[in-house]
Amino acid sequence: MQLINAGPDQASRTALRLLMQGLPGISEIKTAVEIDPPGTLDQPQLRSAQIVEGSVMRARKIPGISRDMKSGFGAFLDGAQKVRLVAQHRGVPLIFGVTSAVVRVRINRRLTTWGHQKPKVEYKLYLPLRYLPPIGELAIGETKWPVVDTTRADANGDYPSAHPQVLLDRAIRAIDQQRELLEDQIAESWCSRNEAPLFVDGGISRSAVVASSRCAVGVIKSHRTLYVEDDALRIVLNLGVNERSSVFKVSPRARNSVMSWYLRQRDADGHDPLWGLVRVEMSECDNPAERADEISRWVLAETTPLALPDGRWDKMSYGVRDCEEFLRAIS
Amino acid sequence: MNEALGRVVATERKPNTPHEFHFWTAIDSPVGIGTIVRVDGAQPVDGHIPHIYGIVVEGFSYTDLQSPLHDVLGHDGSPSGASFAATERAEIRLYTAAVLRQIPEEPLQPVPMGEVFLAEEEDVQVALRMDGYLREGGNTGIPVGVYRAGGTDAVIYLDADFLLGPEAAHLNITGVSGLATKTSAVEWLLASLFSHFPEEKGSIAAVAFNVKGPDLCYLDKPGRVEETDEKLYEKMGVEPKPFTQVEYFAPYTAKGFSLNTFRNNEALLDNVRPLTWGLREVLQFAEVLLNKDDVDAKADALIDFIKENVLDKEFSDPVLSKKHRVQSFADLDAWFRDVLSGMERKDGESWRTHHVATIRKVRNRLSNISTRCAGLVTDTGTVSDLPFGSFADRAVYVVDVANLEEDAQDLIFARIVSKLREHLERRDLGVKHLVVFVDELNKYAPGDGADTYVRKMLLDIAERGRYLGLVLFSAQQFRSQVHRRVVGNSGTSLFGRMDADELSTPGYTVLSPATKTKLATLEKGQLMIRHPHFTQPIFVRFPRPAVMQGREGAEKYPQASEVSLDVAVLRALRPLDPSITLPWIQEITALYTDDEVIKARNATLLARPENVKAYFASQFRKIVSAQSPVRPMAASIKSAPDDDPYGF
Repeated sequence: MQLINAGPDQASRTALRLLMQGLPGISEIKTAVEIDPPGTLDQPQLRSAQIVEGSVMRARKIPGISRDMKSGFGAFLDGAQKVRLVAQHRGVPLIFGVTSAVVRVRINRRLTTWGHQKPKVEYKLYLPLRYLPPIGELAIGETKWPVVDTTRADANGDYPSAHPQVLLDRAIRAIDQQRELLEDQIAESWCSRNEAPLFVDGGISRSAVVASSRCAVGVIKSHRTLYVEDDALRIVLNLGVNERSSVFKVSPRARNSVMSWYLRQRDADGHDPLWGLVRVEMSECDNPAERADEISRWVLAETTPLALPDGRWDKMSYGVRDCEEFLRAIS
Repeated sequence: MNEALGRVVATERKPNTPHEFHFWTAIDSPVGIGTIVRVDGAQPVDGHIPHIYGIVVEGFSYTDLQSPLHDVLGHDGSPSGASFAATERAEIRLYTAAVLRQIPEEPLQPVPMGEVFLAEEEDVQVALRMDGYLREGGNTGIPVGVYRAGGTDAVIYLDADFLLGPEAAHLNITGVSGLATKTSAVEWLLASLFSHFPEEKGSIAAVAFNVKGPDLCYLDKPGRVEETDEKLYEKMGVEPKPFTQVEYFAPYTAKGFSLNTFRNNEALLDNVRPLTWGLREVLQFAEVLLNKDDVDAKADALIDFIKENVLDKEFSDPVLSKKHRVQSFADLDAWFRDVLSGMERKDGESWRTHHVATIRKVRNRLSNISTRCAGLVTDTGTVSDLPFGSFADRAVYVVDVANLEEDAQDLIFARIVSKLREHLERRDLGVKHLVVFVDELNKYAPGDGADTYVRKMLLDIAERGRYLGLVLFSAQQFRSQVHRRVVGNSGTSLFGRMDADELSTPGYTVLSPATKTKLATLEKGQLMIRHPHFTQPIFVRFPRPAVMQGREGAEKYPQASEVSLDVAVLRALRPLDPSITLPWIQEITALYTDDEVIKARNATLLARPENVKAYFASQFRKIVSAQSPVRPMAASIKSAPDDDPYGF
């Protein structure tokens, strides 16, 4: 977890004022206010998956690769979150979170915000209410922000400890979930209109509507969980540029089943094994091989222009970077 | 109201100030360098929403690329690969605008954040403070061109009080040669001035010195006006017609037969008058033609003596052989010869304190003038001049000096401007305001070089002319090479397409690089204007003047070649009496010398009598027809007697 001393912005200052009003005795945190969360709090792991294209995992050269191949994506979806530690009350961290999501559609090769669904931006206070005295009304004029209790009991009925790091992790997870919720809402809205294929940054399996729609394609850049083991792992890690793995089915618990495959976007020579490697998710279909080839061509067509200066440019498409820049500007 | 086309932005690195602000627009917005915009502030100041007017002076465009190398890498070093990219990079159009006006004007604050709109016609009037002089009952606006941006067409007006005085005055125009912008702009502006100059401010006329080419020679002939120009004329309320009152003045050629002008085609001679001066006129401006080396204190004293005591007076002196009345160069030369002969006879070295060497030197220099300015200065003293005292309202008087030697040009300029000034001081010129147009100011009022009489006169007009109603419209290719006080006193400056070298001189440092680039690429018919009411330069379009252009005129009315004296006289007199024929001229002039014929013609042109034939014929001395002596019959010698023994 990284703490960034970026200085409070206007929203953070408003959050602090609200907290000071409702919770006397808090201490403002003037340094190290922004928390840059890791991609996920999960541990890296390998998982097996059911192969649906042939019987064994293979590297497959994608046919029809050329410089002028066209992308079928009509829009990009991404979400963003900001986690700010704005104050503490006797050692208890008080978190302010901003979550947002947007669809940027491509018109005449330029990206613009989707007109049917405004970008979603939500401001919330993430507070461990169990360890705080009763809080008064958190409102200044018309500004009234919701409060999320980060100390609710889990499925086993256990409450989190008062360890500040645990409370911080709880807040980050809650903000993460809020961001995913916004992404799913906006993706469902897109899919319900049966619009052109949507490039979703991340998986599509959380929402049943999205996971079953031909309109949505998920592209995952992080590989905390690799859906291959043993020989299959070696095949995936040694994929050449413009090669993909066989299609397999991903059926996580509490999520929806989708088809997926790995795709090497850039030559990994001289780089780490995950360089330029993405995992693509699509809804289940009868002809996974042809569909995977087609979508792989679209994803490869999105590798220009480069997403530089973003450090994840080897895996990130420019459309996703555009969404991130947009959300950074409005939230 | 238009839709907003941009938003004001400011960062710590690029903040807005009271005189400058930044805004971005959509990629396809019609904003460009020179566009006038309006910012509507979001927060009221003293209860008023601030409106800020600005003109775009710089533009920036960039993408989210951090390094050009990223683009190279992204396209594998192949530029054509960029066209295959599914998405174009996010791109910004960021503009910097200079503030023209803030409303309310106090308190003067940095430009606030707000929406940016394309200025409409009413906005342009407010932005340029034209609302102050276009008001009902006090309208002193003179249309100079049309400002165009997006869908806005707004007439830009100059304030007559700041163009012709008394508040400020004078106009200077700069631009490269060959685009016809400078002359065309002045012709158009004179037409506009004559149409819109307020009646209550009195009469106005113009004197234009045609110093090169035939551009000003066809001001009374209609030119080609295209449809787009017609719309501009209509928008600005000026009729697309040539000038109705134009008179041309030109000296004769050295031979004295025909007028030394591009406009000497017979079909155009009806309003062309000769410009000739005699000794009296020239001596008043002797210092124009005599440089410092020529005219030392002694020579100056002798010239003064001649002016005071000899010119136009009965002059006698013991040293002279006879009484002299000096009225022409010929008379003066005779007087000099008599003085020098008398001194030789007396073997004296000085006469009336003037040394013989000084007398010879002054004689030499003054006699030389009639040679150097042949065609303008007459030996006979005949004067044909501009109609000082009876100048007509809305008339243009063109003095064509294009084909003359530099000395003659200087003399003409100095004398005419001095006369104009004298008459305006006495308020008896005939008009209350007079515009004098001089091209090639680089030559007549250079920033460096000798302090000539002509330059002193131009400085005098520039600095004091506006109090008299004498206004200088000047033009040149290189403004940086003109005397600073001449261009500095020009309240209004126009700029056509400019040379890059000229733009790099210090006088243009106030312009942004983008404005300079625009200036260097201006089309024909476009100008940049600086005027006392405008806090920033404004770009406008003006229509092609509705007069025949020089090149077209020269083709349609070719310059007449040098002709015989008879034909020259016929051409000169026929506009006065169309019944005059060449045989008649030849019959009348057959017995006389060229000088006598020229003198008769000049006198007739000057008098413009009712009966031209009779007047012309009366100018010749009577010559009794020579009768062949009858040879007397020789007396016959006596015949020899028939019976003469010696006869044969």
